[in-house]
Amino acid sequence: MNNFSLTSKSARDVAVMMPKGYINDMGAERLEQTSEQFLGKGMKKLVVNFSEVQYINTIGISIFTGIVQKALDYNGLLCFTNMKKVHREVFETVGLIKHVRVFKDEEAALTYLNGRG
Amino acid sequence: MPFSALQETDFFGRKEELAGLARRLLREDGAAAQSAVLSGPLGIGKTELLKQLFGHLFWRQDRIVPFYYTVNPALLSAAVFSKDYLTRYLCQRLAFEKKEQALFSLEGLSLEGLSALVEEREAVWAREILDRFIRSSGDPIDALRVAVSAPHQAAFATGMPAAVLIDEFHRLKDLHIGGIPDPRLVSLFEAPMSFRKTPHVVAGSAAELHEMPVASGLERISVPPLGPEDAAARALSLFRACEAEGAAPLHLLRGLGGNPFYIACVIRRACGKKDPSEPDFRKAYAREVLEGPLALSWSSVLKSYFPGPGPRRTALTLAHKIHHTNEPLSCRRIAKSLSLTDDQAEATAHALHLAGLVRGEFGVFRAVEDGVLRDVIDCLYQRELLGKSSHDLEEELLKNPLPEKEGAVRFDMTLPMVKETELVAAQCLEQIGKNLNLNQDAVGQLQIAVIEACINAMEHGKGTEKKIYISVAADGDRLEVSIESAGREFVVQESGEPFGDREGIKAAGRGWGIKLMKRFADEVRFEKTARGTKTVLVKNLANPAGVQKEDRTGRE
Repeated sequence: MNNFSLTSKSARDVAVMMPKGYINDMGAERLEQTSEQFLGKGMKKLVVNFSEVQYINTIGISIFTGIVQKALDYNGLLCFTNMKKVHREVFETVGLIKHVRVFKDEEAALTYLNGRG
Repeated sequence: MPFSALQETDFFGRKEELAGLARRLLREDGAAAQSAVLSGPLGIGKTELLKQLFGHLFWRQDRIVPFYYTVNPALLSAAVFSKDYLTRYLCQRLAFEKKEQALFSLEGLSLEGLSALVEEREAVWAREILDRFIRSSGDPIDALRVAVSAPHQAAFATGMPAAVLIDEFHRLKDLHIGGIPDPRLVSLFEAPMSFRKTPHVVAGSAAELHEMPVASGLERISVPPLGPEDAAARALSLFRACEAEGAAPLHLLRGLGGNPFYIACVIRRACGKKDPSEPDFRKAYAREVLEGPLALSWSSVLKSYFPGPGPRRTALTLAHKIHHTNEPLSCRRIAKSLSLTDDQAEATAHALHLAGLVRGEFGVFRAVEDGVLRDVIDCLYQRELLGKSSHDLEEELLKNPLPEKEGAVRFDMTLPMVKETELVAAQCLEQIGKNLNLNQDAVGQLQIAVIEACINAMEHGKGTEKKIYISVAADGDRLEVSIESAGREFVVQESGEPFGDREGIKAAGRGWGIKLMKRFADEVRFEKTARGTKTVLVKNLANPAGVQKEDRTGRE
């Protein structure tokens, strides 16, 4: 199955991950591993751009809790951008939205993060 | 044939089921033949399907011996049942060898007569079974064991497997010795049912079979209602049989819900006239619901579960209430509204569920989706409890339109339980939404709920049938998706929360599935079905409140 792919980019202390397709257990695990790698390299500001995310399920969301936890462990900051309304509500329903900052788009998130020094 | 059955040309809409059952028993798909339960509501055609299956296996192949048996409620003494079962089996088994229909009429043979027949046929295997039966006849349990295992013993001795088809199987829970029913007696079927050489296909009351340990673990094969074309074809064949002209109104056939028994009752009555018109069908329907074989069949079911007048009145009141309440009722609510004790409410509602008059799942009771049954219950209630005359009730029925199901656009699909099959369901739903020009935000929300329901169905799926059955029905402002599988009951009664270690579930994120379903669908129901468990998700498209809710979420 190839319903998920992940691309990423980074500059200074900010890393942007762009998942695409269906975030299930395997997709979320790849996101988690990539987040951990960025955090390990000292990039504590993580952005997840949801613009290409089609669907997400609760197994995938549960793995997001691990990403949130790791960001907290590293004293980092996790931002979500370009979320469809329904995906935002999924995270809201399971109570995860309060642990992340949500921005309209990647640019808004980067402006905010770069302003934090 | 050992029974009366429809002509093959009048057997509509079941060709696929018949072929599937035959393939299953003949192991044409390469898998081992396994026992199964035919499941469906009263009148849907389980009995006829079993009969046609017998005919098909008897005449059209020689690799498996069919044996058809209908449990007779008058023959439930273990000793009497054993003899009847064995005699019928041996007669049908011997008849199969040379396709001799004449042997079917010998089924009431005495043991001596049977013995002579076996001698005449030089059937050594039958002689051994019969001798063993005669030797054990002093002990009803031993005799019963010999009788129910006779097909297996014969298969073992001759190498020819047997397909055992038993109708009204649920009645066997009342097998008794000396007048004392012992539900354990039916458990003697467990061994023969488990042998590969003697697959059993049993039918009967779906709810009763579900509660019988010997049958509850078997795969369930649902017998669906006739589709519109098959219902119309069945009606036409009834017209011809009655030498009447014309055709049944389509809205009447829709209202009869594809139930062959209902169709036969109403059409036969209407065809009392050579060229029945719309008012004749209306009148035929009213008469059937009030006093015809249709009403009598439901009334006799009710009487068998509630023989006394007091309990019957309570049962009718409760059935009427459930069929006129839009939400499921818990036993506590029933007890309170009918001034019953909790135990009385539970016993009455449960018996109504076993009788097929209401649905009873996960601790709550709801109406069966059957407009005809609702009319029958209404008439019984108003006549027996409110004292209305049949004449007045008929007048009322004639004023009301015939029951009619809405003409929903419906899509059905069967998906294999393979990885990410839920995506197929979600994407189909999206396309259906586009085709029907439905609110895309609402469809998007329902997609999330469907994904979760499919994952649940796969996680809790059991049995050999690794499939998910999905139905999408768009009906005006309502979009309903049902996701059905052979899953075990994965919600706790009343609460609707998943079974299992709560913390463990939470840790894995699976406790959120039902939470998301409830958030994104306006209505979430869990139903026991013939196959297993069905999750029903309903989205109201006229008032997409859920869509509005999203706008509350702030953005930075």
